[in-house]
Amino acid sequence: MISRRAFIKAGGLTLFGIGMGGVPGFVARAAYREKLGSKKILVCIFQRGAMDGLMAVSPFTDPHLKASRPDLFLSASGSTPGLTDLDGTFGLHHAFNSFVPLFKEGRLAIVHGMGSPNPTRSHFDAQDYMESGTPFNKGTASGWLNRAAKLTGHDASPFAAVSLTSSMPRSLYGDHPALAVQNLKDFAVQVKGDRAGAAMAAKSFEDLYDQASSDLLKEKGSESFEAMRMIGSLKWPTSVDAPYPASPLGMALKQIAVLIKSDVGLEIAFAESTGWDTHFNQGTLNGPFARNASDFSKSISAFWEDLKNYQDQVLVMTMTEFGRTVKQNGTRGTDHGRASCSFILGNHVKGGKVYGTVPSLAVENLEDGRDLPVTTDFRSVFNEVAAKHLQLKETTDLFPGWKGNSLGILPAR
Amino acid sequence: MPSRYFIVLLTILIPLSGFRPQPMSSAFPYAKMGLTDRQAAAHLLSRFTYGATPADIDAAIKMGLENWFNRQLQANAKDEVLGKRLTSFQTLNMSNEEAVEQFVRNGQLLRMAAEDGVISKDSLQKDTNKEAYRKKLQAYAASKGLKPQKELIKEFISHKILRSIYSENQLQEVMTEFWFNHFNVSFTKPQSIPFIPSYERDVIRPNALGSFNTLLLATAKSPAMLMYLDNFSSSGENSKMAARQNQPAKAKRPKGLNENYAREVMELHTLGVDGGYTQQDVTEAARVFTGWTIYPRGESAGAGMIQKALQQKGEANLRAAGFVIEKDFLFTPNRHDDGSKKVLGKTFPAGGGYQEGVELLSMLARHSSTAKFISRKLAIRFASDNPSPELVSKLSDTFLQTDGDISRMLRTLVSSQEFWSPESIRQKIKSPFELTVSALRVLEADVRQPHHLFEWMNRMGQKIYFYQAPTGFPDKGEYWINTGALLNRMNFGLALATGKIPGIKFDVLGLNRNHEPGSANEALEAYANLFLPERELMPTLERLTPLLNDPQLPEKVQAAAATAPAPPEQDDPLDASEGDMHSGITDNNDYRLSQVIGIILGSPEFQRR
Repeated sequence: MISRRAFIKAGGLTLFGIGMGGVPGFVARAAYREKLGSKKILVCIFQRGAMDGLMAVSPFTDPHLKASRPDLFLSASGSTPGLTDLDGTFGLHHAFNSFVPLFKEGRLAIVHGMGSPNPTRSHFDAQDYMESGTPFNKGTASGWLNRAAKLTGHDASPFAAVSLTSSMPRSLYGDHPALAVQNLKDFAVQVKGDRAGAAMAAKSFEDLYDQASSDLLKEKGSESFEAMRMIGSLKWPTSVDAPYPASPLGMALKQIAVLIKSDVGLEIAFAESTGWDTHFNQGTLNGPFARNASDFSKSISAFWEDLKNYQDQVLVMTMTEFGRTVKQNGTRGTDHGRASCSFILGNHVKGGKVYGTVPSLAVENLEDGRDLPVTTDFRSVFNEVAAKHLQLKETTDLFPGWKGNSLGILPAR
Repeated sequence: MPSRYFIVLLTILIPLSGFRPQPMSSAFPYAKMGLTDRQAAAHLLSRFTYGATPADIDAAIKMGLENWFNRQLQANAKDEVLGKRLTSFQTLNMSNEEAVEQFVRNGQLLRMAAEDGVISKDSLQKDTNKEAYRKKLQAYAASKGLKPQKELIKEFISHKILRSIYSENQLQEVMTEFWFNHFNVSFTKPQSIPFIPSYERDVIRPNALGSFNTLLLATAKSPAMLMYLDNFSSSGENSKMAARQNQPAKAKRPKGLNENYAREVMELHTLGVDGGYTQQDVTEAARVFTGWTIYPRGESAGAGMIQKALQQKGEANLRAAGFVIEKDFLFTPNRHDDGSKKVLGKTFPAGGGYQEGVELLSMLARHSSTAKFISRKLAIRFASDNPSPELVSKLSDTFLQTDGDISRMLRTLVSSQEFWSPESIRQKIKSPFELTVSALRVLEADVRQPHHLFEWMNRMGQKIYFYQAPTGFPDKGEYWINTGALLNRMNFGLALATGKIPGIKFDVLGLNRNHEPGSANEALEAYANLFLPERELMPTLERLTPLLNDPQLPEKVQAAAATAPAPPEQDDPLDASEGDMHSGITDNNDYRLSQVIGIILGSPEFQRR
């Protein structure tokens, strides 16, 4: 009886543990590409819920703003200034303080009055349009970042386009391989509470997929095991290396930094920041907006610090579906509006400047008499940043049907 | 009804002409393609069910494959097993109206609570008292009979998973999934959420094997679609409402034409992107659909207006004035563009009202581009990712000849040699949903907490009912198989087989008639045959057996456990509260056997259908 069961006692299957087995093929390919001189990484952060651009980067000298927002207005002067004066016109909310040095060093640019030509004030629709990159067409199958990944023309590493989210964002829908993974450490064959079993199963699977009669399963199987070994060998930074907040955004950016430092062929990364839909008690120096802004800016500046030896390769761009009403509402918050602002960070960015047009906030200048008007189409900014930073040769397919000028946020190529 | 006359005519003509309709039972040309009855049955069931056990295959052979198929097309099995499993679901038969009233978004709840003075304007600023604040809101919701929308979603998804595992009307379930994906709506759009359970139950499932035209019209009038693609808000420039809004005092926020539905109904639902329409056709079609909206309910302003109109004028007068009220659908002439339109060369004269939309949909449903587009999609779903043009053309002919009869198209499909060819057999990759359901079916599992499976499907790359774009999930292997997804498919097999997914029971030895395998080879062979009937399994078995028979295995296992990179424990957020029901595998030997099963479920062969 016992011998009959020997195979089971022994653990049934076989081993992992053959070691690294050489450099994964996709890492080699990525390294090759580096030699060719193209190794740029675009990191996009979507602020879901619609960030109040008028509170983040506030045109504080405009008397209409103060009149419209008696409970929300912040000043750049006084004993406890809520804003840092950037250029005499705009003030940065103090919760974004860690951005101030980056702005002064000329590496951080801000685009204000940015938004979509489609006037929808639905979160879903506006996010959908911004992520597909086609503001009047819902049926576009792909997301703009997936098209950007494709336009790099590179033989894709499984880590070429990665979203640090639990499911694939609309921005990365499409034909080009992209990966959505919330936690890179899940990137393993694993059985809860049974490391030995998991290791044996991994080896068995590797053998099976190596023999798969379907080319697709065989090829992707081999890549999966390469990727798994590689992720298993990554070195993670300690909190001393970079002070990431322990928030979802902080964790996502920390993992993106690990991928960048590991040279796995990352070109496009995506992360999310939530909670910007401040209808109720938005707050000023404290409150939901300030808490979110603080997490957001601290996550990004920790990321930047963590990447001190890689900053030349990396560009961070933030986006949000729309802005919020100029007037505060009846519950000391703001409602859905039109234009907001975007932060663009990189060593090659012509920073230290607020781009775009923000008119006086007199009612006659507002969109539908209530909202900061969209004066810069988001596609103009996304297109310039992606094309110049990722060195795309051809961009007509990036935003189908769109033609427009760039603002010159990055130097001409 | 011309079609009825046609049938009468046929029954008269057929005996005279000596032509007899082909008996349904001789139509499957699998023998010609070199397949045995069992191989054919395995293939047939792999495509038209969510997974089959050897017993299912035997039963189908006994019944006759043609009879089996016809019975699936009729979809009238009583489904008592499923019915019992669904009895505890509160929302199963809930109407749209009830769903809207009971299930609210957090924001809605907050607003209502603030309006009723339950929470004060300042309470959010005080971080210290979050717990009390949350409790206050919960008590308020309970007192009003309100529940969070995520509960509706959870119950709906659980129900769908159970239905796919246990329904005897498997083909109906497969086709329900197919058409839902074709006419996709999504939980990602919050305003659509309460309408989606009824959309699948009342719009998609009853029509999944019926007429395409009927299905198309039903989706067009469903609140889920009207909301998801925005037609509910679309109004025409020549409408009475526009005339009112042009008075400057009322020009608050201009509403107008919304083209989203009109575009997608042509691009995604009927003609296909290269189906031969122009932007002008889209705009004109959007004008046709102005006034097609959701019957307003509850306390919305629109509900007040329609109630007032009903009271003042009476329903009969409203109908006479061109209003159409059908359950949750409302056609309101006030928003309808009354001018003449021209779509795809056809002129719709002024004053066409509701009926011109019905005519347009009917025209789209009968278009030759639609026939091709739908045929290709069906062929991709059931034959292969790259179906032959011949097969598509056969299906398309049936579509045109039968006025879009979906069952007749499926019959054409299984009557084609292409369906039984090597280019088709085992050439489809299971979607994560198909993989999950098929694993539970072959394990004959007792699933009590299906929502845990939803999270696994998401990890494998398919967050069902949450696909944001109206295109629906792509139906091709390349989309599903990427590195992260593939590892999670393997992990799913292991987690399921080793009892790590809560709320699922199965009897490993019982599956093998309580016979305990005597060796690794025997275990592999027995369970591979159970889970992968009629497959060529030698490559799988040959590859694994030398490793299994390695005399030094025990030492290697110890070494591997010591040196393998430590995979972190997965945090399953749903685990904590309800982790008490496991598969009952406590014995170490059974555990190792279950691991063999996990490897079969995660193997490349099990990913195919």
